[in-house]
Amino acid sequence: MSMSSDFRPLSGDVAAAQQRFLALFLRSEREIFRYVAALVPSVIETEEIVQQTAITLWEKFDAYDPAKPFTPWACRFALNKTRQWIERRQRWQALLTEGLAEELARRREELRPEWERRFAQLEGCVAKLPDDERAVVEGYYYRRSRIEALAGESGRTVEATYKMLQRIRRVLKHCIENAEQMGEAT
Amino acid sequence: MNMVFPSREFDDSVAAVCHGLASVEQMRSLHELLRASPAARDEYLLRVELHAGLASDPDLFASASAEATDTEVASFRSRSTGNFVSLTKHTPKQRQMVTWAISLAACFLILAAAGLNWFRHRSSRQPTSMAVAVLSYAVKAQWASAADARAVGGALEPGWLRLKSGLVQVTFYSGARMAIEGPAQVQLISPGDAFCNSGRVMAEVPPQARGFSVESPQMKVTDLGTEFGLDVNATASAVHVFNGNVAYQVASAMNQNLKAGEASVVDQAGVTRLISANPEAFANLFDLQRKWQAILARRYEDWRTANARRNQDPSLLARFDFEDLTASDWTLHNVAADGSRVPDGAIIGCQVTEGRWPGKPALAFRSPSDRVRFSVPGEFRALTFSAWVNVQGLDRQFNSLFMCDGFDAGKIHWQICNDGALDLGVQGQRVHDVQIFMSPAVVGFNQFGQWLHLAAVVDGEHRQVVHYVNGVAVSRHALTLPPPYRLGAGELGNWNPGEFPNKLPFLIRHFSGAMDEFAIFNRALSDAEILKLYSDGKPEPDF
Repeated sequence: MSMSSDFRPLSGDVAAAQQRFLALFLRSEREIFRYVAALVPSVIETEEIVQQTAITLWEKFDAYDPAKPFTPWACRFALNKTRQWIERRQRWQALLTEGLAEELARRREELRPEWERRFAQLEGCVAKLPDDERAVVEGYYYRRSRIEALAGESGRTVEATYKMLQRIRRVLKHCIENAEQMGEAT
Repeated sequence: MNMVFPSREFDDSVAAVCHGLASVEQMRSLHELLRASPAARDEYLLRVELHAGLASDPDLFASASAEATDTEVASFRSRSTGNFVSLTKHTPKQRQMVTWAISLAACFLILAAAGLNWFRHRSSRQPTSMAVAVLSYAVKAQWASAADARAVGGALEPGWLRLKSGLVQVTFYSGARMAIEGPAQVQLISPGDAFCNSGRVMAEVPPQARGFSVESPQMKVTDLGTEFGLDVNATASAVHVFNGNVAYQVASAMNQNLKAGEASVVDQAGVTRLISANPEAFANLFDLQRKWQAILARRYEDWRTANARRNQDPSLLARFDFEDLTASDWTLHNVAADGSRVPDGAIIGCQVTEGRWPGKPALAFRSPSDRVRFSVPGEFRALTFSAWVNVQGLDRQFNSLFMCDGFDAGKIHWQICNDGALDLGVQGQRVHDVQIFMSPAVVGFNQFGQWLHLAAVVDGEHRQVVHYVNGVAVSRHALTLPPPYRLGAGELGNWNPGEFPNKLPFLIRHFSGAMDEFAIFNRALSDAEILKLYSDGKPEPDF
């Protein structure tokens, strides 16, 4: 069923179905994003895959059983979209071939309960970053500025800006791990 | 080449994968390592999860932006990438992550509707569906015949205006005003152009009608933001520019530009002569214009007087009159007497433009980042929304008037669908409870460029929703979702699409046009009260 040939009548019912779909999708979106990113972590590509997934989900929404949780249903489609994405790209194939994609997705599910407490610390850790570092992380992840623009704003080279992001993530990883341990100590 | 773990090489490769920069060679090495080492695999997954968490959780940054001062907001805005800057006072956890995908619905809806749009039944309350202009004013007008007579205040369809003597003013639906001095023969073609066969006309073109053109047998004059006169007689046409610039074209020659103070005369042979603009030749039309300006100024004044009273209404939660807009102040002031319940709005993007009357400020919404954010705390048993808008086009599948962020229980979305239907949505307590109330298609090409009064009443008491256009109810709907209704943080002219930035155009649902008044009441206004809102704010007087 393609969208363009699907000339549903324009009515409040359809709009209501869309709104229901969106409300469900929005609640699951972060989950779907992270699910996809575990396999294809490049943000622009993750976004693209999630958006393609959203369109497919809407196309299949008639088949969704509201009695069942939405996220697992959605993630099945996300996995398919991600597989298609990988198949068409040599670089991702090089990384994820020979069943590694499936293995990563499976292992991630196992690890998630352990991670939960750690990631709960992330907001506090981001808030503790020095201003210039938070500006870069916010620019890259939140405002989605181009790396060249971020480099320009902070007077660094593009290369140095990437390095800085790498360093900040290392700091944040230490922070959430330490915070978790401190939490356990008390 | 074998990669080991832990190592600098591993660190760099994982970062490169996250940044989308890894080479095929790096990918292969990483692949071998991850297959061979469970520890490397777990570490890889954790780092990627951290990266994905930063990329998918706007709340991580919300606390920072929630504390932003006005100055910071202004500076954010100046290097705006089109993304939303949070101004809400909510704690991050309270804030729904509202993503690009919200607008997906709009996309699908419209893809489906695209083929049907213009075949839809036109609302029967559009008796002037062909009209391109209105005859707004006349002084001692003598028409060529009884059949040519036109009433002041009447809509004008494409066709000839034959004026024997006197002065009339035509306001095109594009916003352009044309004063005509008889004897004259002018053919109205569309909201954006006319043909002057003979006579003297003067056009005053506000920014939104830029590109307005008038043709004569000898030339075509296209406005570039101006005031110009055209004098057409049996042997020649002359264009005089009093303000701004025009482009004019003779036969198939290239466009030429004229500045204020310049004029050009073109004879039947197409020979062009440049002279100085002569305002005296248009003295009668300037005089008409002055009188008309005085009438509009009085309307503007009457509107202000009516508002001074209206602002005292205790049910008025917020009223933005857009009166004190200055380029340096990004605040839209709530002028309701008891305005303490709703803090001022924050203007993000937008440009100041002309409203219903000369000198009346309005905000133009053009780019996907343009919006006014404000927050309406509380729970309500009924609500009335009222807005004066000038719709430039329905570019998006949904075009926001006032939209609450997100889909929390009780939230309301008020927008125009791209087929011209007014759409009000109420979210119930559960995800599956939602009601969407759509009027017939009421905003179309014929309304573009005109100031329209739109209102919607959500009446929890009598369980109905009513849509109004220019003071008249266009549809009534049964409301099954019970009060309380909530608004919370919301936007004029947009729908919070930037928290989770996106790049797909169809995920955006900003309004294209201008707004110069907006109000919310915490009760259901009656039909008569809505009509009064319209008549008090109607741009032109009744004759």
